[in-house]
Parts: sequence; structure tokens; C-alpha cells
Amino acid sequence: MDLVLQLLATGLVVGSLYALCAIGWGLIYGTTLHFHVAHGAVFALAAYYAYAGQTLLHLPLPVAVVLAIAAAALSGLLIDLLLYQQLERRGAFRTSIFIASLGLLILLENVLAIVFTPDPMRMDIGALNTAVIIGPVFLTYLHILTVALTIVAYGALMLFLKRSRWGQAIRAVSSAPEMARTVGIDLKRVHLLAYAIGSALAAPAGILVAMDVGAEPFRGTRFVLLASVGVIMGGIGSIPGAMLGGVFLGLLENLGIWKLPSEWQSAISFGVFLVFIVLRPRGFFGRTIHSAEI
Amino acid sequence: MLKRIALLVSLFALAATPAAAQPAPIKIGAILPLTGSGASYGVWMKGGAEMAAEEINAAGGIGGRRLEVIYEDHAADASKAVNAMRRLVEVEKVPFTLTSYSAPTLAIQPIGSQNKVVMMNGGGQSDNLANKDYLYNNIPVVSNEVGVLCDWLTKEKKFKAAVMIVANDEAGRNSAKSFRERFGAGGGKVLAEEQIALDGNDFRAQLAKLKAQGGDLLFISSYGRNVAIVADQARELGITLPMAATSWVQIPEVLKSKGAQGLLTTRLPFNPESAFARKFKERYKTDAGFFAVQYYSGTRIFAAAADAAMKKNAGKLDGEGVKNAIESIKAFDTISGKLVFQPNHAAVMDIEVGVLKGGKVEVEKVIKAAQ
Repeated sequence: MDLVLQLLATGLVVGSLYALCAIGWGLIYGTTLHFHVAHGAVFALAAYYAYAGQTLLHLPLPVAVVLAIAAAALSGLLIDLLLYQQLERRGAFRTSIFIASLGLLILLENVLAIVFTPDPMRMDIGALNTAVIIGPVFLTYLHILTVALTIVAYGALMLFLKRSRWGQAIRAVSSAPEMARTVGIDLKRVHLLAYAIGSALAAPAGILVAMDVGAEPFRGTRFVLLASVGVIMGGIGSIPGAMLGGVFLGLLENLGIWKLPSEWQSAISFGVFLVFIVLRPRGFFGRTIHSAEI
Repeated sequence: MLKRIALLVSLFALAATPAAAQPAPIKIGAILPLTGSGASYGVWMKGGAEMAAEEINAAGGIGGRRLEVIYEDHAADASKAVNAMRRLVEVEKVPFTLTSYSAPTLAIQPIGSQNKVVMMNGGGQSDNLANKDYLYNNIPVVSNEVGVLCDWLTKEKKFKAAVMIVANDEAGRNSAKSFRERFGAGGGKVLAEEQIALDGNDFRAQLAKLKAQGGDLLFISSYGRNVAIVADQARELGITLPMAATSWVQIPEVLKSKGAQGLLTTRLPFNPESAFARKFKERYKTDAGFFAVQYYSGTRIFAAAADAAMKKNAGKLDGEGVKNAIESIKAFDTISGKLVFQPNHAAVMDIEVGVLKGGKVEVEKVIKAAQ
């Protein structure tokens, strides 16, 4: 039983990281229909921004983190402005945008590997690394912070989407882009906003992973893959779905090895995903996926 | 315009020829973990080879020819090692290469053997590296070390039930296999094992599973910085079991890691007070380690063998000549003592056992090599 509780807790931490990536990715995908795999590069960039802020610019950790999140949001926005919008203006298909995004992911990851080496760059996080013992469960303060931050980020995002004018504009574009355009919503600006917010959500995930085990150039690919899987499981267009999908994948990955050898970890996650998506193509809460959207 | 450039180039080449009248340098390869989870080994390996080459050249080279080492990075990846080996064989036409790590070395061995290029491995320890054509290991295979470790753990430290975390690669699996056999032979039992990726960095799920198995010892069958991650995360998860490992953990990341203190480990002989270690520190501004000596010695062994081969074959140097010279010399003088290649193409060495305390291994006992 102790093992199950420990796996549950570890799964919740990993799931929170996936969820942060997934709600950001889901927001972007739901709004723009871009299969933005370069989200993984934003995840990695955020980690290196924070690392560079702390070790090269000698900023205090909280300042470095806040600046890194802002810089990551700007990076996401620039990716849309300078790459995707240019492609769309020239009438590119969605597949071309996906391939461009994949190209950008590989390019940025390799540039990071050249600049910082492929080795993990460890950050100094002081007492956050201390272990906390809750009954039979062992976590660090950083892990607890990860879960708390994810809940706060999720709540803030939902509040923003429901209450604010810009949030409502995002929802309008997400559910009916043509209708939104006819009532005078500027699609391009809404897209930019979705990229900035989506990237600002991936950033803490990247930074938290870097704080735990070091910033690494190629770490984002797995996270964006799992984020997209989480979004599809949760139901495209649904932020609660993406949150649930992300947490579910983290739990599955960890609880899955309760009775099976650990080399099955990835096979379990993706196997369950395949079965799930065949049985329930709309995911937990989603609308039907139209072929035109992929 | 093009013609003019061609003319200039050929003139330049003509002008350059007399200056290059010295004999062509002898090129050898070195396929090392320069990046990735084992980059710390790479710093030592490259430094050791570089220092040997510099000393050899300062003393007039090999048979009057300069020695030039071409460094390649395998980053623990066998396919990268194969690409590097192909380049060394086909483009650089080397007669000899230093190599490292078990999986990359096993992957390049057929290429070396087909093309008659001698490979000298000073780092990889899988038992499968023994008895291979054109491959020599100036390091003992891991079963020697694991045998010594298990004797000590079962007979003197009285451990009975181990759990194991195993890197999912040639070296990790091979050392785990030896551990199962030898720990069992000493009356112990391996209760459970979990595999981890060498380039991974979150092993908490695997460790949580092992924790639930109980036991009185955690054997870490892995290497590179992930041993430090395993040790730290094990302690973070409240695993209080003593941990054991082989000499692969003799890198700064592990020695300095908080979680790894108290580790029961084997060590291959290395004297940090030696003249070599002092010179290394002066040159590279970092402490030397066992693997620096290994690749220094590997390069020196090549120089001795190449010198003998050239003397025997009227100045001609090729891989076959180097191989024959190694076979006939067999015992080489190195800075860490006499190194004798055994019939299985591997070396034997004294093996120390001890406990990691305050960043240093306190040696409890030395088991002399049976030459």
C-alpha cells in the first residue's frame, strides 16, 4: 500500500507537469488549430532562460524565474508572428505549419545543445530540494510547489477565459472562428494572445523540471508529445479536459509499473491512450474531432 | 578566374611541399564519451591521451614521426561510435584507435577486425569485450570486480538480500548478470531489479518499487552521472539501505553527491599524489582520475607497439603489425605498473574495496591481481 501511495504522489507531480504543458498546448491548438510541436522548444527555452538568469546574470531565483516565464511567452508569440502567420499569409496548409513547427523544434533544440552542451545544467534551488515526509510518502518541497502551481495556473486560466474580455474572445475564436471574425474579433491578435498565454504555461513546467534535474535541450519533445496526447484524451477544445488528460498520463505512467517491470512505462501510457482513443474518440469532454482540424 | 585560383593553389601547394618534407604524422583515433551522461569520463580520457601524445612528440615521436590523435564523440551511443569508426578507418586510415564504453566498443569491433585496425579499450568493462579479434582491453572485465565486491559484501559485510537498479545497456546488464551470479554464490539473494535509461533523470518510480521490496542492500549497476541521480533520489524517497557499486562511480558527480556517501564500492588503483596526477591537474585545472591514466597508458602502449612494429617491418606501420607487436610484447610498463594482456585480451589489476566518505573512498582492503 505504501508503494501505491508513493507512486500516486510521484504520478501526481509528473502529471502536473504534463498538465501544465497540456493546458497551454490545448489552448493554442483549440484557438489556432496549429499542431504546435515547437511548444517543446518553448519548454526547453524557458528552462535555459531561468538557468541563464540565475547562473550567468546572477539574478535571485524568483526574479530569474519570472523573467524566464515572460521571455518564454514572448518567444511563443514571436514563433506565431514570424513563422506561422507568415506561412498562413502565403496560404500554407496546416500540414506545412506542422512540418515548419517540427523543423523549428529540432532547430532550437540543437542550437541549445550547441550553446549549452547536451549535458544537464543544474540550477541552485537551495532548500526547495529538501525531502518532505508525509506518512509513507516522500516528496521534495519542489514537488509540492509543482502541484500547487499547476492548480493555481489552471484556476487563473479558467478565470481569465470565463471573465475577461480577451478570454472570451479566445473562447469565441476557439468555438467558431468565422463567427468571431464577423463580430469584429481580430483573429491574428487573438492567436498571438493564445501563443503568449500557452507559452507562459509551458514555461513553469520547463523551469520546474530544470530545477529538479537540470535544464536539457531535448527534454521538451517528450513533454509536447505527452501534452498533445493529454489534450486529445481530454477532448480537443477543453481546458479541463487537457488538465485531466495531463494528470491522468502522469498517474498512468507511475501507477502502471506497480505490477509491471519499469521498462514498460512508456508502452503502458501509449497503449492505454490508443485503446482509449478508439473507444472514446472525443476524449473525456471534447467535441468531435473533424478531419479538417487535423 | 577559376583557372587562376587553381594555379595559385597549385603554386601554393608546391611552395608548401618542401616545408612538409618531414615524414607524415601517425594518426590514431580516440572514440570517447565527450558529451552526455558520461562526459566526466571523457574529460579524463581525452586529457590522458593528449598528455601521452604530447610527451611522445616532445621526445621525437614514434620512429621520427609525430603522433596525432583524432578525437571522436560517441556520447554513449553505439551508432555514433560506428560512424566515428567508419570515418577513422575510411577517411583517416588509422591503424589504431582508443575506444571506450561497452556497447560502442562492441559495435565498432567488427569494423576494426575487418579492416585490421587495433582497438584499445581502457574504459568499457562488459565481459563480452573479452576474446575479440583486434580488440584489447587495458582494463579488467567487470566480472572480476563484481566478484571481489560480492565476496566482500557477502562474507565480510554479511549482506543477504539485494535489490538492483540496472542501466538498460550492455554494461549495466552485464554487470547485473555478474552480480546475480556472484552475490548468489556468496549465499545472498537478489530480490528484485528495475531497469533505468542511461540518459534518464527521474528514477523515482523504479526506486519506489525497489523500496517496497525490502532487502538489506541496493546495488547500482550503472555509470555516469545517473548513479548520482539514483543515489540522491533514493535518499529523497527515504531509502535508507546501504548502496554498492563498482569503480564506474569514480567520477566527481558521484563522489560529491550527498546521497552517495556511505557507498560500498570497488576501485581500480589510482594514486592522486602521483607525478602524472599533478601534471594533469596543472594542465587541465581539474583533478585527474583513474580513466586519465587508462588512456594515457593506452596511448603509450600503442607507441611502444608501433615502434616495435615499424622496427620489425622496415618502417612500415599498419594495424596488423601493431596487433602482432602487442601479442609478442604482452607485458607493458605503464605508470601504474606492469600491464599484462591475458589470453582473453583483457588486463587484470589489483582491486580495492572501500567506503565512500566525505567525497573520498576510504580503502578497506586490496585484492591483488592474479597475473
